[in-house]
Amino acid sequence: MTPFAQGLLDALFRDAHLIYPQLFLMTVATLMLWPLDLAFARNEKHRWAPITLVILAVTALWVLKTPDGEGFSRMYRVDGLARGFQLLCILGVAGAVALSMRLLDSLKQQTVEYYALILFSLSGMLFLCGASDLMSVYFSIELMAICIYVLVAYLRDRATSVEAGMKYFLLGAFSSGILIYGISLLYGAAGGTTTNLADLNRALALAPRTSSLLVFSGVLMVLVGMAFKVAAVPFHMWSPDAYEGAPTPITALMATAPKAAALAAFLRVFGTAFHGVSTDWVMPLCYIAGASMVLGNVAAVRQESMKRLLAYSSIAHVGYMLLGVLSGDLKAGAQAIWLYMLIYIVMNTGAFAVVIYLQGMGEGERIEDFRGLGRKHPVLAFAMMVFLLSLAGIPPLVGFFGKFYLFKLAIEQGYVTLTVLALLTSAVSAYYYLGVVNQMYFQDAEGEAAPMGSMAVFIVSVACVLVLVGTAFGPWLLDWAGKVFVG
Amino acid sequence: MFTANTTLMLVATFLPLVGGLVLLLVPKEQRRVFEVGSLLVMIASLLLSLPFWFGYDRASDAVQWAGAWSWIPALGVKFSVGMDGISLLLWLLTTFIGPIAVACSFGSIEERHKEYYLWLLVLQTAMLGVFITQDMFLFYLFWEVMLVPMYFLIGIWGGPQKLYAAIKLFLYTLAGSVLMLVALLAIYFLQHKTTGVYDFSLASFHAMAPVIAQQTKSYQSLMALAFFVGFAIKVPMFPFHTWLPDAHVQAPTAGSVILAAILLKMGTYGFVRFLLPILPTATKELLPWFIGLSLIGIIYGALVAMIQKDMKKLVAYSSVSHLGLCMLGLFAFNPYGIKGGLFQMLNHGISTSGLFLAVGIVYERRHTRMIADFGGLSKTMPIYATIFMIITMSSIGLPVLNGFIGEGMILMGSFQAFPWAAVVATLGIILGAAYMLWMFQRVMFGPISAVNEKMTDLNLREILYFAPLVVAAFWIGLYPKPVMDVMDAPVRKLVEQITPGFHAAQDLAAKQAAAAKLGMKGMTAPAAHHDAAPAEGHAAPADPHAPAAHDAAPAAHGAPAKVGAH
Repeated sequence: MTPFAQGLLDALFRDAHLIYPQLFLMTVATLMLWPLDLAFARNEKHRWAPITLVILAVTALWVLKTPDGEGFSRMYRVDGLARGFQLLCILGVAGAVALSMRLLDSLKQQTVEYYALILFSLSGMLFLCGASDLMSVYFSIELMAICIYVLVAYLRDRATSVEAGMKYFLLGAFSSGILIYGISLLYGAAGGTTTNLADLNRALALAPRTSSLLVFSGVLMVLVGMAFKVAAVPFHMWSPDAYEGAPTPITALMATAPKAAALAAFLRVFGTAFHGVSTDWVMPLCYIAGASMVLGNVAAVRQESMKRLLAYSSIAHVGYMLLGVLSGDLKAGAQAIWLYMLIYIVMNTGAFAVVIYLQGMGEGERIEDFRGLGRKHPVLAFAMMVFLLSLAGIPPLVGFFGKFYLFKLAIEQGYVTLTVLALLTSAVSAYYYLGVVNQMYFQDAEGEAAPMGSMAVFIVSVACVLVLVGTAFGPWLLDWAGKVFVG
Repeated sequence: MFTANTTLMLVATFLPLVGGLVLLLVPKEQRRVFEVGSLLVMIASLLLSLPFWFGYDRASDAVQWAGAWSWIPALGVKFSVGMDGISLLLWLLTTFIGPIAVACSFGSIEERHKEYYLWLLVLQTAMLGVFITQDMFLFYLFWEVMLVPMYFLIGIWGGPQKLYAAIKLFLYTLAGSVLMLVALLAIYFLQHKTTGVYDFSLASFHAMAPVIAQQTKSYQSLMALAFFVGFAIKVPMFPFHTWLPDAHVQAPTAGSVILAAILLKMGTYGFVRFLLPILPTATKELLPWFIGLSLIGIIYGALVAMIQKDMKKLVAYSSVSHLGLCMLGLFAFNPYGIKGGLFQMLNHGISTSGLFLAVGIVYERRHTRMIADFGGLSKTMPIYATIFMIITMSSIGLPVLNGFIGEGMILMGSFQAFPWAAVVATLGIILGAAYMLWMFQRVMFGPISAVNEKMTDLNLREILYFAPLVVAAFWIGLYPKPVMDVMDAPVRKLVEQITPGFHAAQDLAAKQAAAAKLGMKGMTAPAAHHDAAPAEGHAAPADPHAPAAHDAAPAAHGAPAKVGAH
């Protein structure tokens, strides 16, 4: 064995403990594909959902127990930020998996590949949360995204699903190209020495003045590539179609976990590597954030499909969360985004659970299908109302606290105009969220009450209780969020 | 029986919410339980609030029954409550209107009783909360929470255009209040920059006034405008009033009553509590605009009310006009004007909710509110006609009834500050008398149609819920002193906050007037002092009958001055 390979192997064994959760996920997912899948007959595949949930729980515990550290030639690090966002990703994925059980049953589309792909994708997200090098950022994004492309097109006998997958794949591949090109420009600008985030910050500061255009275009391209991944305007075009075409649990997944991971990377890349060249990206990011809020909220007003509405609203929510990236204070920004994302995941999963429940009842995903839900299923309707009002940020629901911390941070950092825009557009968002409430409560029901499906209702109730508990303890959430990031 | 204290205040405030949660357990078919239950809860809350009227220390301008509990230490937010005279009056008005709003719903609400009374009770707690909070964060919370129950009350039990009205009310108010939130946070951070602590308490915001006055002019104006728009939408002032007619017309009677009596007062309360004391300099800068909008509101509201065919819409526009008058009084920045404005807030709460109830009565019987559909009702409904008459008179400011006192004070106050504005306002009052009396005439007198002849007079329940309003109208009209006393000290403090040294200047002016009257030319100060007094903001010209003169003149000059003062 050559000394080089020997050194590589040593490093791998020395640092392996940092990525045990990911290794665990990948091993289990591979084994699931073969031979574990043989354990269940064709009509028993739905059993994989609870098993996946158990795997996720184990992963979460493992993430919590992973010590701080940096390894693999400083390409991956575990710290409070990584751990916090990794937990968010696991939470988002767990919600999607729980939602998959019933829907895929009714579509007769249960397979082990579905769950294995979700787990592979999750391992990519976990890597992304801890990526501390532009190269590892890129690899993790690809690992995460390629699995999701497949999942979006999972209902392969449905044209919409395949179309959505294709669209997402093409645009995603395109954006990855921009991202990697930007990285290569920065690598060149930094003297061809490093892509490590911390080193890059120093190297860019020392870069000769003549290469400032190189730095600028590199930073801008990385920004564009990342904006594609979080679906921020004007790089959002893929998201409404992908959301609509994908199986609904995957839509719920796409709105939460990958965005949490991508925002963690956003924070780390822009808060660490590009910290010194903030003049290059602050203004463009301001415009991206502002445009996301405006377009996301305004476009959502005109939607008739609930999934598209939630897609546009998630664009707007990303716009709000980008305020935290703008803050320039890595820790405070991470706290505010983390808290917002946590709340958003719970509310969003709950809302999607209601959509899935209605789909399972043979009704569609159109907003009109919510008509009279308040009469037919008071519990479900009440929960949906709580989610929607919370998404709109109406106090005292917990969504308000999430927004409050984010906007407070933005004002503190002097982004007053942008915050005013955020607040006014969140008032616009109340319009379409209330439109759904209006359908549920103000319109008369058609048809009789149907019995409730157990799993979706369970998730809805849990999410609703979480939102209400979060509301009661909303004020303490920030302190708690702060503790998560200690160390 | 009960002594007024912080705990009792919280109990009275949160009792409706708790009652609502208890009622949640009752099966929804039990209509009677919801009606009687929520009425009892409201009455209990009213009774619990009464000790505060008697226990209030009228000599002090401090926040009374104050209590604070740590809530979000990281942000400096406390669950901080307490009341001064201004909040006390509005808080009592809210507990007073609560039972009436419930009682008037028994006949008119035909479906989904459980939800209805639940929302009503939640709304009550949110409104009461706004008036007791002494923390800006908490205030914002209560302020926003109010919107949701109101949205449902209008959206479910409203008229044909209910969806439009409900969403308009919601979005309008939300848009205004988010602007207010930005201004609030901006001041919060400014405060952190100057003092180094994070504090959301109202007192600390008030203490920021001098610091804010040193900021750039555009900063101050933006802050003032953000607060102004937030509150002006709620009041509503012209041109932010367009949600009001829609909301009023579509809302169920109780919704209109609460909207008129309490919700609109939130806006004026916001001005008194936040804009004026925190940003006095900027407010004075923008005052011509604010006064202008108030005056336009007075005249425009009255003129539009005049041509309305729908009784409820007429009353709604009359609210625009009356609240313009309130705002004019507040913006006079002198004790008469502010007291008059506050007083008129109470009066408007009493008389306009009475008017909405009266409209609700005929609507329940005929399912129409068009003035043209009625006529000659006084023949078949004498009790109703009498009560309607009293309330109409109270609304147009007839002496002996409550409206007179408030309007008079506002005119006095605004005349001292801007005589021309008082003249325009008087025109609005005359117009007010015209449209109210004209409506009364068209509805109550003239030939009666066959349908209207079948209309029954008020039943006992209806008389009972009108009675408190009528009694209150007479009581305040005949003996306003107790109410005045309650707001005396807080208003004095407020005027000092707006114009530091106002009372001292006024006392000096009074002293000089007294001296001049006695012919003691040697003792009067040089003419410069005469000029100095009005120049200090809008300090009033010497008024020998001003209460301040009574207090100050004897102290300064002894017996001769006292003679002069009378």
